[in-house]
Amino acid sequence: MRPPAGTPIVQFNGVTRSYGSRLALEDVSFGLEAGELTFLVGPSGAGKTTLLKLINREIRPTTGEVWIDGLAAHDLKASHVAQLRRRVGVVFQDYKLLPRLTARENVALALQVGDLRVSDEEANERALDALEAVGLGDRGDAMPNELSGGQQQRVAVARAVVRQPPLLIADEPTGNLDADTAWGIMDLLEDIAAFGIAVLIATHNVEIVTRLRRRVLTLVEGRLVRDQPAGQTGRMAWLASS
Amino acid sequence: MAGIVMSAHFPRRHVIAAVAKNVFRYLFQGAARNWARNFGSTAPALSSMTLLLLLSGLIGLTGFALYNLEVIEAGQASTLHVYLRDDADNTDVFTLQRELVGDGRVLAVGYTSKEDALKHAQSVPGLPALANASESNPFPASFDVQVRSLDDVAGIDALVRTNTAVDPMYPTSYDRGAYQRIQAVLLGIGVAGFAFLALLAFVAVTVTVNSIRAAIHSRRDEVAILQLVGAPRWMVRGPFIVEGAITGSLAGAVAGAITFGLAMAGIAEGAASFSQFAPGVTVSVAVVAAALVFAVGLGLGSGSSLLSVRKHLES
Repeated sequence: MRPPAGTPIVQFNGVTRSYGSRLALEDVSFGLEAGELTFLVGPSGAGKTTLLKLINREIRPTTGEVWIDGLAAHDLKASHVAQLRRRVGVVFQDYKLLPRLTARENVALALQVGDLRVSDEEANERALDALEAVGLGDRGDAMPNELSGGQQQRVAVARAVVRQPPLLIADEPTGNLDADTAWGIMDLLEDIAAFGIAVLIATHNVEIVTRLRRRVLTLVEGRLVRDQPAGQTGRMAWLASS
Repeated sequence: MAGIVMSAHFPRRHVIAAVAKNVFRYLFQGAARNWARNFGSTAPALSSMTLLLLLSGLIGLTGFALYNLEVIEAGQASTLHVYLRDDADNTDVFTLQRELVGDGRVLAVGYTSKEDALKHAQSVPGLPALANASESNPFPASFDVQVRSLDDVAGIDALVRTNTAVDPMYPTSYDRGAYQRIQAVLLGIGVAGFAFLALLAFVAVTVTVNSIRAAIHSRRDEVAILQLVGAPRWMVRGPFIVEGAITGSLAGAVAGAITFGLAMAGIAEGAASFSQFAPGVTVSVAVVAAALVFAVGLGLGSGSSLLSVRKHLES
Protein backbone atom coordinates (compact mmCIF):
# COMPACT_ATOMS: atom_id res chain seq x y z
CA MET A 1 0.00 0.00 0.00
CA ARG A 2 1.38 3.39 -1.02
CA PRO A 3 1.48 6.19 1.60
CA PRO A 4 -0.76 9.23 1.15
CA ALA A 5 0.31 11.86 -1.37
CA GLY A 6 2.77 14.36 0.08
CA THR A 7 4.30 11.79 2.44
CA PRO A 8 8.10 11.76 2.03
CA ILE A 9 9.47 8.73 0.17
CA VAL A 10 12.32 8.59 2.70
CA GLN A 11 12.00 9.81 6.27
CA PHE A 12 14.75 9.54 8.90
CA ASN A 13 13.69 10.46 12.44
CA GLY A 14 16.52 10.80 14.97
CA VAL A 15 18.45 7.87 13.52
CA THR A 16 21.55 6.67 15.32
CA ARG A 17 23.57 3.69 14.25
CA SER A 18 26.57 2.40 16.14
CA TYR A 19 29.04 -0.39 15.46
CA GLY A 20 30.09 -1.46 18.91
CA SER A 21 31.24 1.70 20.69
CA ARG A 22 31.73 3.64 17.42
CA LEU A 23 28.91 5.90 16.26
CA ALA A 24 28.52 5.69 12.46
CA LEU A 25 25.42 7.94 12.41
CA GLU A 26 24.19 10.14 15.21
CA ASP A 27 20.70 11.57 15.51
CA VAL A 28 20.13 12.04 11.76
CA SER A 29 16.75 13.39 10.60
CA PHE A 30 15.70 14.36 7.09
CA GLY A 31 13.09 13.58 4.44
CA LEU A 32 13.16 13.04 0.67
CA GLU A 33 10.21 13.89 -1.56
CA ALA A 34 9.18 12.20 -4.78
CA GLY A 35 11.01 13.58 -7.81
CA GLU A 36 13.73 15.13 -5.67
CA LEU A 37 17.37 14.56 -6.61
CA THR A 38 19.59 14.89 -3.56
CA PHE A 39 23.32 14.54 -3.09
CA LEU A 40 24.78 12.95 0.01
CA VAL A 41 28.30 14.19 0.58
CA GLY A 42 30.94 13.99 3.25
CA PRO A 43 34.43 12.71 3.87
CA SER A 44 35.26 9.01 3.88
CA GLY A 45 33.90 7.40 7.02
CA ALA A 46 31.29 10.12 7.52
CA GLY A 47 28.46 7.56 7.41
CA LYS A 48 27.20 7.86 3.81
CA THR A 49 27.28 4.16 3.10
CA THR A 50 25.74 3.40 6.50
CA LEU A 51 22.89 5.76 5.67
CA LEU A 52 22.30 4.04 2.30
CA LYS A 53 22.41 0.62 3.97
CA LEU A 54 19.76 1.78 6.43
CA ILE A 55 17.52 2.83 3.54
CA ASN A 56 17.98 -0.56 1.83
CA ARG A 57 17.51 -2.34 5.18
CA GLU A 58 20.87 -4.04 4.99
CA ILE A 59 21.23 -2.89 8.60
CA ARG A 60 18.84 -1.58 11.26
CA PRO A 61 19.22 1.67 13.18
CA THR A 62 20.36 1.41 16.79
CA THR A 63 17.74 4.00 17.68
CA GLY A 64 15.35 6.15 15.66
CA GLU A 65 13.00 5.47 12.76
CA VAL A 66 13.58 4.90 9.05
CA TRP A 67 10.48 5.07 6.85
CA ILE A 68 10.73 4.08 3.17
CA ASP A 69 7.67 4.67 1.01
CA GLY A 70 5.44 4.06 4.01
CA LEU A 71 7.31 0.98 5.26
CA ALA A 72 8.95 1.07 8.69
CA ALA A 73 12.42 -0.17 7.72
CA HIS A 74 13.58 0.11 11.34
CA ASP A 75 10.98 -2.41 12.41
CA LEU A 76 10.78 -4.64 9.36
CA LYS A 77 10.96 -8.42 9.79
CA ALA A 78 13.67 -10.20 7.80
CA SER A 79 10.99 -11.99 5.80
CA HIS A 80 9.61 -8.65 4.56
CA VAL A 81 12.90 -7.05 3.57
CA ALA A 82 12.51 -8.09 -0.07
CA GLN A 83 9.23 -6.17 -0.16
CA LEU A 84 11.10 -3.01 0.82
CA ARG A 85 13.95 -3.62 -1.60
CA ARG A 86 11.51 -3.83 -4.50
CA ARG A 87 10.65 -0.21 -3.71
CA VAL A 88 14.29 0.87 -3.80
CA GLY A 89 16.44 0.83 -6.94
CA VAL A 90 20.14 0.64 -6.13
CA VAL A 91 23.15 1.61 -8.23
CA PHE A 92 26.68 0.86 -7.07
CA GLN A 93 30.10 2.15 -8.04
CA ASP A 94 31.09 -1.34 -9.25
CA TYR A 95 27.81 -1.94 -11.16
CA LYS A 96 27.16 -5.38 -9.64
CA LEU A 97 25.94 -7.06 -12.82
CA LEU A 98 25.77 -10.83 -13.05
CA PRO A 99 28.62 -11.73 -15.41
CA ARG A 100 26.90 -14.84 -16.83
CA LEU A 101 23.83 -12.93 -18.00
CA THR A 102 23.46 -10.52 -20.90
CA ALA A 103 22.58 -6.88 -20.32
CA ARG A 104 18.94 -7.62 -21.12
CA GLU A 105 18.85 -10.66 -18.83
CA ASN A 106 20.38 -8.65 -15.98
CA VAL A 107 17.58 -6.11 -16.29
CA ALA A 108 14.88 -8.75 -16.75
CA LEU A 109 16.12 -10.58 -13.65
CA ALA A 110 15.13 -7.61 -11.48
CA LEU A 111 11.63 -7.79 -12.89
CA GLN A 112 11.08 -11.51 -12.53
CA VAL A 113 12.59 -12.11 -9.10
CA GLY A 114 10.46 -9.28 -7.79
CA ASP A 115 7.30 -10.55 -9.42
CA LEU A 116 7.07 -14.14 -10.61
CA ARG A 117 3.98 -13.32 -12.65
CA VAL A 118 6.12 -11.50 -15.20
CA SER A 119 6.50 -13.76 -18.24
CA ASP A 120 9.71 -14.03 -20.26
CA GLU A 121 8.15 -12.11 -23.14
CA GLU A 122 7.06 -9.24 -20.94
CA ALA A 123 10.34 -9.19 -19.02
CA ASN A 124 12.33 -9.06 -22.25
CA GLU A 125 10.14 -6.35 -23.68
CA ARG A 126 10.35 -4.19 -20.57
CA ALA A 127 14.08 -4.82 -20.16
CA LEU A 128 14.70 -3.69 -23.73
CA ASP A 129 12.54 -0.62 -23.13
CA ALA A 130 14.62 0.23 -20.07
CA LEU A 131 17.88 -0.33 -21.96
CA GLU A 132 16.54 1.82 -24.78
CA ALA A 133 15.77 4.55 -22.26
CA VAL A 134 19.36 4.54 -20.95
CA GLY A 135 20.72 4.58 -24.49
CA LEU A 136 21.66 0.92 -24.79
CA GLY A 137 18.77 -0.41 -26.85
CA ASP A 138 21.15 -2.05 -29.29
CA ARG A 139 23.37 -3.73 -26.65
CA GLY A 140 20.80 -5.95 -24.99
CA ASP A 141 22.54 -9.18 -25.99
CA ALA A 142 26.00 -8.01 -24.93
CA MET A 143 27.64 -9.65 -21.94
CA PRO A 144 28.80 -7.28 -19.19
CA ASN A 145 32.47 -7.84 -20.03
CA GLU A 146 31.77 -6.65 -23.58
CA LEU A 147 30.53 -3.29 -22.31
CA SER A 148 32.50 -0.25 -21.18
CA GLY A 149 32.29 0.96 -17.58
CA GLY A 150 29.82 3.67 -18.51
CA GLN A 151 27.66 1.21 -20.42
CA GLN A 152 27.69 -1.25 -17.52
CA GLN A 153 26.62 1.55 -15.20
CA ARG A 154 23.77 2.38 -17.57
CA VAL A 155 22.67 -1.24 -17.48
CA ALA A 156 22.76 -1.04 -13.67
CA VAL A 157 20.59 2.09 -13.81
CA ALA A 158 18.16 0.37 -16.18
CA ARG A 159 17.97 -2.58 -13.76
CA ALA A 160 17.37 -0.21 -10.85
CA VAL A 161 14.46 1.63 -12.48
CA VAL A 162 12.84 -1.06 -14.64
CA ARG A 163 10.39 -1.88 -11.85
CA GLN A 164 9.52 1.80 -11.46
CA PRO A 165 10.51 2.12 -7.78
CA PRO A 166 9.64 5.34 -5.95
CA LEU A 167 13.25 5.66 -4.78
CA LEU A 168 16.66 5.24 -6.39
CA ILE A 169 19.82 5.31 -4.28
CA ALA A 170 23.27 5.45 -5.86
CA ASP A 171 26.54 4.89 -4.02
CA GLU A 172 29.34 6.68 -5.91
CA PRO A 173 27.76 5.90 -9.30
CA THR A 174 30.42 7.86 -11.16
CA GLY A 175 33.37 6.76 -9.06
CA ASN A 176 34.80 4.44 -11.72
CA LEU A 177 33.94 6.58 -14.75
CA ASP A 178 35.74 9.28 -16.70
CA ALA A 179 34.33 12.83 -16.61
CA ASP A 180 32.30 12.68 -19.84
CA THR A 181 30.78 9.31 -19.00
CA ALA A 182 30.05 10.49 -15.45
CA TRP A 183 28.11 13.46 -16.79
CA GLY A 184 26.15 11.11 -19.03
CA ILE A 185 25.15 9.05 -16.00
CA MET A 186 24.21 12.20 -14.07
CA ASP A 187 22.01 13.38 -16.95
CA LEU A 188 20.30 10.02 -16.82
CA LEU A 189 19.72 10.24 -13.06
CA GLU A 190 18.30 13.75 -13.46
CA ASP A 191 15.88 12.43 -16.08
CA ILE A 192 14.81 9.68 -13.73
CA ALA A 193 14.14 12.22 -10.96
CA ALA A 194 12.14 14.26 -13.45
CA PHE A 195 9.79 11.30 -13.83
CA GLY A 196 8.92 11.47 -10.15
CA ILE A 197 11.44 9.09 -8.62
CA ALA A 198 13.27 10.31 -5.52
CA VAL A 199 17.00 9.98 -6.20
CA LEU A 200 19.68 10.01 -3.50
CA ILE A 201 23.29 10.00 -4.72
CA ALA A 202 26.25 9.53 -2.39
CA THR A 203 29.29 11.05 -4.08
CA HIS A 204 32.70 12.62 -3.66
CA ASN A 205 32.44 14.40 -7.02
CA VAL A 206 32.49 18.09 -6.04
CA GLU A 207 32.19 19.32 -9.61
CA ILE A 208 28.95 17.47 -10.21
CA VAL A 209 27.47 18.53 -6.86
CA THR A 210 28.42 22.17 -7.42
CA ARG A 211 27.27 22.45 -11.02
CA LEU A 212 23.91 20.70 -10.67
CA ARG A 213 22.86 22.89 -7.69
CA ARG A 214 20.56 20.27 -6.24
CA ARG A 215 19.77 19.64 -2.59
CA VAL A 216 22.88 18.53 -0.67
CA LEU A 217 23.00 16.63 2.61
CA THR A 218 26.41 16.86 4.27
CA LEU A 219 27.49 14.23 6.76
CA VAL A 220 30.56 14.69 8.94
CA GLU A 221 31.54 12.11 11.54
CA GLY A 222 28.06 10.61 11.44
CA ARG A 223 26.17 13.85 11.97
CA LEU A 224 24.06 15.68 9.40
CA VAL A 225 25.82 19.03 9.61
CA ARG A 226 24.14 20.74 6.65
CA ASP A 227 20.95 20.34 4.60
CA GLN A 228 21.42 22.71 1.69
CA PRO A 229 18.29 23.28 -0.41
CA ALA A 230 18.36 23.03 -4.19
CA GLY A 231 19.46 26.15 -6.09
CA GLN A 232 22.05 27.19 -3.58
CA THR A 233 25.80 26.82 -3.74
CA GLY A 234 27.32 26.09 -0.37
CA ARG A 235 30.82 25.67 0.89
CA MET A 236 32.32 22.24 0.75
CA ALA A 237 33.88 22.47 4.17
CA TRP A 238 33.84 18.68 4.52
CA LEU A 239 36.48 18.48 1.80
CA ALA A 240 39.01 19.70 4.32
CA SER A 241 38.69 16.46 6.24
CA SER A 242 38.21 14.05 3.33
CA MET B 1 15.15 9.08 -21.17
CA ALA B 2 12.14 8.80 -23.41
CA GLY B 3 9.70 7.77 -20.71
CA ILE B 4 9.33 4.28 -22.09
CA VAL B 5 10.48 2.82 -18.78
CA MET B 6 7.40 4.20 -17.09
CA SER B 7 4.92 2.77 -19.55
CA ALA B 8 5.13 -0.87 -18.52
CA HIS B 9 2.06 -2.98 -17.93
CA PHE B 10 1.20 -6.41 -16.50
CA PRO B 11 -0.58 -8.76 -18.85
CA ARG B 12 -3.11 -10.91 -16.96
CA ARG B 13 -2.87 -13.90 -19.27
CA HIS B 14 -0.80 -16.96 -18.62
CA VAL B 15 0.01 -15.85 -15.08
CA ILE B 16 0.11 -19.38 -13.67
CA ALA B 17 2.34 -20.59 -16.51
CA ALA B 18 4.69 -17.65 -15.99
CA VAL B 19 4.87 -18.24 -12.23
CA ALA B 20 5.52 -21.96 -12.69
CA LYS B 21 8.19 -21.31 -15.29
CA ASN B 22 9.93 -18.70 -13.15
CA VAL B 23 9.82 -20.84 -10.01
CA PHE B 24 11.24 -23.78 -11.93
CA ARG B 25 13.95 -21.62 -13.48
CA TYR B 26 15.07 -19.74 -10.39
CA LEU B 27 14.65 -22.56 -7.89
CA PHE B 28 15.30 -25.89 -9.62
CA GLN B 29 17.05 -25.15 -12.90
CA GLY B 30 19.44 -22.71 -11.28
CA ALA B 31 20.14 -25.15 -8.45
CA ALA B 32 20.80 -28.03 -10.86
CA ARG B 33 23.13 -25.89 -12.96
CA ASN B 34 25.05 -24.70 -9.91
CA TRP B 35 25.18 -28.21 -8.49
CA ALA B 36 26.77 -29.49 -11.69
CA ARG B 37 29.17 -26.55 -11.80
CA ASN B 38 30.24 -27.08 -8.18
CA PHE B 39 30.44 -30.87 -8.41
CA GLY B 40 34.08 -30.82 -7.32
CA SER B 41 33.23 -29.30 -3.96
CA THR B 42 30.10 -31.42 -3.57
CA ALA B 43 31.80 -34.77 -4.29
CA PRO B 44 33.11 -35.34 -0.72
CA ALA B 45 29.64 -34.70 0.70
CA LEU B 46 28.11 -37.02 -1.89
CA SER B 47 30.60 -39.80 -1.08
CA SER B 48 30.29 -39.57 2.69
CA MET B 49 26.52 -39.40 2.51
CA THR B 50 26.37 -42.39 0.15
CA LEU B 51 28.56 -44.39 2.53
CA LEU B 52 26.44 -43.36 5.52
CA LEU B 53 23.19 -44.26 3.79
CA LEU B 54 24.52 -47.58 2.50
CA LEU B 55 25.69 -48.59 5.96
CA SER B 56 22.40 -47.34 7.41
CA GLY B 57 20.48 -49.50 4.96
CA LEU B 58 22.55 -52.60 5.67
CA ILE B 59 22.56 -52.04 9.43
CA GLY B 60 18.83 -51.38 9.26
CA LEU B 61 18.18 -54.64 7.46
CA THR B 62 20.46 -56.48 9.88
CA GLY B 63 18.66 -54.86 12.79
CA PHE B 64 15.31 -55.89 11.36
CA ALA B 65 16.50 -59.47 11.00
CA LEU B 66 17.89 -59.46 14.54
CA TYR B 67 14.62 -58.06 15.86
CA ASN B 68 12.74 -60.90 14.19
CA LEU B 69 15.25 -63.34 15.59
CA GLU B 70 14.68 -61.91 19.04
CA VAL B 71 10.92 -62.29 18.65
CA ILE B 72 11.41 -65.93 17.65
CA GLU B 73 13.82 -66.49 20.52
CA ALA B 74 11.44 -64.84 22.96
CA GLY B 75 8.64 -67.09 21.73
CA GLN B 76 10.83 -70.14 22.13
CA ALA B 77 12.11 -69.03 25.53
CA SER B 78 8.57 -68.66 26.84
CA THR B 79 7.85 -72.29 26.00
CA LEU B 80 9.15 -74.65 28.65
CA HIS B 81 9.48 -78.30 27.67
CA VAL B 82 8.92 -80.57 30.68
CA TYR B 83 10.41 -83.99 29.88
CA LEU B 84 8.56 -86.97 31.35
CA ARG B 85 10.08 -90.19 32.63
CA ASP B 86 9.55 -93.13 30.27
CA ASP B 87 8.23 -95.15 33.22
CA ALA B 88 6.08 -92.39 34.69
CA ASP B 89 2.75 -93.45 36.07
CA ASN B 90 -0.21 -92.18 34.05
CA THR B 91 -1.88 -90.85 37.19
CA ASP B 92 1.19 -88.82 38.05
CA VAL B 93 1.34 -87.49 34.51
CA PHE B 94 -2.32 -86.43 34.55
CA THR B 95 -1.88 -84.86 38.00
CA LEU B 96 1.05 -82.86 36.74
CA GLN B 97 -0.90 -81.77 33.68
CA ARG B 98 -3.85 -80.62 35.82
CA GLU B 99 -1.46 -78.75 38.09
CA LEU B 100 0.11 -76.95 35.15
CA VAL B 101 -3.20 -76.10 33.47
CA GLY B 102 -4.52 -74.73 36.76
CA ASP B 103 -1.49 -72.50 37.29
CA GLY B 104 -2.31 -68.85 36.59
CA ARG B 105 1.16 -68.25 35.12
CA VAL B 106 0.59 -70.81 32.39
CA LEU B 107 -1.06 -69.86 29.13
CA ALA B 108 -1.35 -73.29 27.54
CA VAL B 109 -0.09 -76.83 27.96
CA GLY B 110 0.58 -79.12 25.01
CA TYR B 111 1.63 -82.73 25.00
CA THR B 112 4.25 -84.31 22.77
CA SER B 113 4.34 -88.07 22.82
CA LYS B 114 7.56 -90.07 22.37
CA GLU B 115 6.49 -90.88 18.80
CA ASP B 116 5.85 -87.22 17.97
CA ALA B 117 9.23 -86.28 19.49
CA LEU B 118 10.93 -88.87 17.28
CA LYS B 119 9.14 -87.62 14.17
CA HIS B 120 10.13 -84.07 14.98
CA ALA B 121 13.76 -85.05 15.51
CA GLN B 122 13.80 -86.80 12.16
CA SER B 123 12.77 -83.58 10.47
CA VAL B 124 15.58 -81.54 12.02
CA PRO B 125 18.76 -81.38 9.85
CA GLY B 126 21.51 -83.56 11.32
CA LEU B 127 19.27 -85.42 13.77
CA PRO B 128 17.81 -88.23 11.57
CA ALA B 129 21.06 -90.21 11.78
CA LEU B 130 21.04 -89.92 15.55
CA ALA B 131 17.35 -90.72 15.70
CA ASN B 132 17.80 -93.85 13.60
CA ALA B 133 21.01 -94.98 15.35
CA SER B 134 19.15 -96.57 18.23
CA GLU B 135 16.62 -99.30 17.89
CA SER B 136 14.59 -97.85 20.74
CA ASN B 137 13.14 -94.33 20.73
CA PRO B 138 15.57 -92.12 22.74
CA PHE B 139 13.30 -89.05 22.80
CA PRO B 140 11.09 -88.51 25.85
CA ALA B 141 7.44 -87.46 25.91
CA SER B 142 6.98 -83.93 27.17
CA PHE B 143 4.58 -81.22 28.21
CA ASP B 144 5.12 -78.04 26.18
CA VAL B 145 4.19 -75.32 28.64
CA GLN B 146 3.49 -71.87 27.20
CA VAL B 147 4.20 -69.35 29.98
CA ARG B 148 2.49 -65.94 30.09
CA SER B 149 5.65 -64.05 31.09
CA LEU B 150 9.29 -64.92 30.52
CA ASP B 151 9.91 -64.04 34.16
CA ASP B 152 7.76 -66.99 35.25
CA VAL B 153 9.68 -69.66 33.33
CA ALA B 154 12.09 -70.19 36.24
CA GLY B 155 9.19 -70.56 38.68
CA ILE B 156 7.45 -73.18 36.59
CA ASP B 157 10.75 -74.99 36.16
CA ALA B 158 11.22 -75.07 39.94
CA LEU B 159 7.66 -76.30 40.38
CA VAL B 160 7.98 -79.31 38.07
CA ARG B 161 11.67 -80.20 38.45
CA THR B 162 11.12 -82.51 41.46
CA ASN B 163 7.80 -83.97 40.31
CA THR B 164 7.79 -87.78 40.24
CA ALA B 165 6.50 -87.83 36.63
CA VAL B 166 9.42 -85.74 35.41
CA ASP B 167 12.72 -87.13 34.14
CA PRO B 168 15.20 -86.49 37.02
CA MET B 169 18.27 -86.51 34.70
CA TYR B 170 17.03 -83.93 32.23
CA PRO B 171 13.81 -82.47 33.72
CA THR B 172 13.16 -79.41 31.52
CA SER B 173 14.49 -77.31 28.61
CA TYR B 174 15.05 -74.36 30.97
CA ASP B 175 18.46 -72.73 30.41
CA ARG B 176 18.97 -70.03 32.98
CA GLY B 177 20.22 -66.82 31.33
CA ALA B 178 20.12 -68.01 27.71
CA TYR B 179 17.46 -65.50 26.67
CA GLN B 180 19.08 -62.75 28.74
CA ARG B 181 22.39 -63.43 26.99
CA ILE B 182 20.72 -63.06 23.58
CA GLN B 183 19.11 -59.83 24.72
CA ALA B 184 22.41 -58.49 26.01
CA VAL B 185 24.18 -59.32 22.76
CA LEU B 186 21.42 -57.69 20.70
CA LEU B 187 21.44 -54.61 22.92
CA GLY B 188 25.21 -54.35 22.53
CA ILE B 189 24.96 -54.68 18.76
CA GLY B 190 22.17 -52.08 18.68
CA VAL B 191 24.08 -49.55 20.78
CA ALA B 192 27.27 -50.03 18.76
CA GLY B 193 25.35 -49.74 15.48
CA PHE B 194 23.55 -46.62 16.64
CA ALA B 195 26.79 -44.99 17.83
CA PHE B 196 28.50 -45.83 14.55
CA LEU B 197 25.61 -44.41 12.51
CA ALA B 198 25.46 -41.29 14.69
CA LEU B 199 29.17 -40.72 14.06
CA LEU B 200 28.73 -41.22 10.32
CA ALA B 201 25.67 -38.94 10.30
CA PHE B 202 27.68 -36.25 12.06
CA VAL B 203 30.44 -36.55 9.46
CA ALA B 204 27.95 -36.52 6.55
CA VAL B 205 26.03 -33.53 7.89
CA THR B 206 29.24 -31.62 8.63
CA VAL B 207 30.67 -32.29 5.16
CA THR B 208 27.38 -31.31 3.50
CA VAL B 209 27.05 -28.15 5.58
CA ASN B 210 30.60 -27.20 4.61
CA SER B 211 30.03 -27.90 0.92
CA ILE B 212 26.94 -25.67 0.94
CA ARG B 213 28.89 -23.03 2.83
CA ALA B 214 31.54 -23.18 0.11
CA ALA B 215 28.80 -22.83 -2.52
CA ILE B 216 27.37 -19.80 -0.72
CA HIS B 217 30.83 -18.27 -0.47
CA SER B 218 31.61 -18.84 -4.15
CA ARG B 219 28.30 -17.26 -5.16
CA ARG B 220 28.22 -14.44 -2.61
CA ASP B 221 28.16 -11.77 -5.35
CA GLU B 222 25.22 -13.44 -7.07
CA VAL B 223 23.43 -13.77 -3.72
CA ALA B 224 24.09 -10.10 -2.94
CA ILE B 225 22.68 -9.04 -6.33
CA LEU B 226 19.58 -11.19 -5.90
CA GLN B 227 18.99 -9.65 -2.47
CA LEU B 228 19.69 -6.21 -3.92
CA VAL B 229 17.01 -6.54 -6.60
CA GLY B 230 14.44 -7.67 -4.05
CA ALA B 231 14.43 -11.44 -4.47
CA PRO B 232 12.36 -13.02 -1.69
CA ARG B 233 14.19 -15.12 0.89
CA TRP B 234 12.97 -18.42 -0.49
CA MET B 235 14.38 -17.53 -3.90
CA VAL B 236 17.79 -16.73 -2.43
CA ARG B 237 17.92 -19.67 -0.03
CA GLY B 238 15.87 -22.19 -2.00
CA PRO B 239 18.45 -23.08 -4.65
CA PHE B 240 21.02 -23.98 -1.99
CA ILE B 241 18.51 -26.24 -0.26
CA VAL B 242 17.60 -27.82 -3.60
CA GLU B 243 21.33 -28.37 -4.22
CA GLY B 244 21.55 -30.20 -0.89
CA ALA B 245 18.46 -32.19 -1.79
CA ILE B 246 20.05 -33.19 -5.11
CA THR B 247 23.17 -34.37 -3.29
CA GLY B 248 21.11 -36.23 -0.70
CA SER B 249 18.72 -37.84 -3.15
CA LEU B 250 21.55 -38.93 -5.44
CA ALA B 251 23.41 -40.45 -2.49
CA GLY B 252 20.13 -42.01 -1.34
CA ALA B 253 19.39 -43.44 -4.77
CA VAL B 254 22.85 -45.02 -5.10
CA ALA B 255 22.87 -46.35 -1.53
CA GLY B 256 19.26 -47.55 -1.83
CA ALA B 257 20.01 -49.39 -5.06
CA ILE B 258 23.07 -51.08 -3.53
CA THR B 259 21.12 -52.00 -0.38
CA PHE B 260 18.32 -53.47 -2.47
CA GLY B 261 20.82 -55.30 -4.71
CA LEU B 262 22.68 -56.83 -1.77
CA ALA B 263 19.45 -57.85 -0.04
CA MET B 264 18.13 -59.43 -3.24
CA ALA B 265 21.44 -61.18 -3.85
CA GLY B 266 21.29 -62.59 -0.33
CA ILE B 267 17.70 -63.73 -0.74
CA ALA B 268 18.41 -65.31 -4.10
CA GLU B 269 21.68 -66.91 -3.00
CA GLY B 270 20.11 -69.41 -0.66
CA ALA B 271 16.63 -68.84 0.62
CA ALA B 272 16.75 -71.66 3.13
CA SER B 273 20.01 -70.81 4.85
CA PHE B 274 19.43 -67.09 4.45
CA SER B 275 16.09 -67.17 6.18
CA GLN B 276 17.76 -68.69 9.19
CA PHE B 277 20.29 -65.85 9.44
CA ALA B 278 17.97 -63.01 8.39
CA PRO B 279 14.43 -63.94 9.32
CA GLY B 280 11.74 -61.63 7.93
CA VAL B 281 13.92 -60.10 5.20
CA THR B 282 11.87 -60.48 2.03
CA VAL B 283 11.73 -58.71 -1.35
CA SER B 284 9.11 -56.28 -0.01
CA VAL B 285 11.27 -55.52 3.01
CA ALA B 286 14.24 -54.86 0.71
CA VAL B 287 12.12 -52.48 -1.41
CA VAL B 288 10.95 -50.62 1.70
CA ALA B 289 14.54 -50.43 2.99
CA ALA B 290 15.74 -48.98 -0.35
CA ALA B 291 12.90 -46.43 -0.38
CA LEU B 292 13.68 -45.45 3.22
CA VAL B 293 17.36 -45.02 2.40
CA PHE B 294 16.40 -42.73 -0.50
CA ALA B 295 14.00 -40.71 1.67
CA VAL B 296 16.56 -40.36 4.46
CA GLY B 297 19.13 -39.18 1.89
CA LEU B 298 16.72 -36.57 0.57
CA GLY B 299 15.92 -35.37 4.09
CA LEU B 300 19.54 -35.40 5.21
CA GLY B 301 20.71 -33.41 2.17
CA SER B 302 17.93 -30.83 2.43
CA GLY B 303 18.22 -30.59 6.21
CA SER B 304 21.98 -30.13 6.16
CA SER B 305 21.64 -27.43 3.51
CA LEU B 306 18.94 -25.70 5.50
CA LEU B 307 21.23 -25.68 8.53
CA SER B 308 24.06 -24.23 6.47
CA VAL B 309 21.87 -21.60 4.80
CA ARG B 310 20.41 -20.49 8.11
CA LYS B 311 23.87 -20.22 9.58
CA HIS B 312 25.83 -18.71 6.72
CA LEU B 313 23.37 -16.77 4.58
CA GLU B 314 22.14 -13.43 5.79
CA SER B 315 18.61 -12.40 5.05
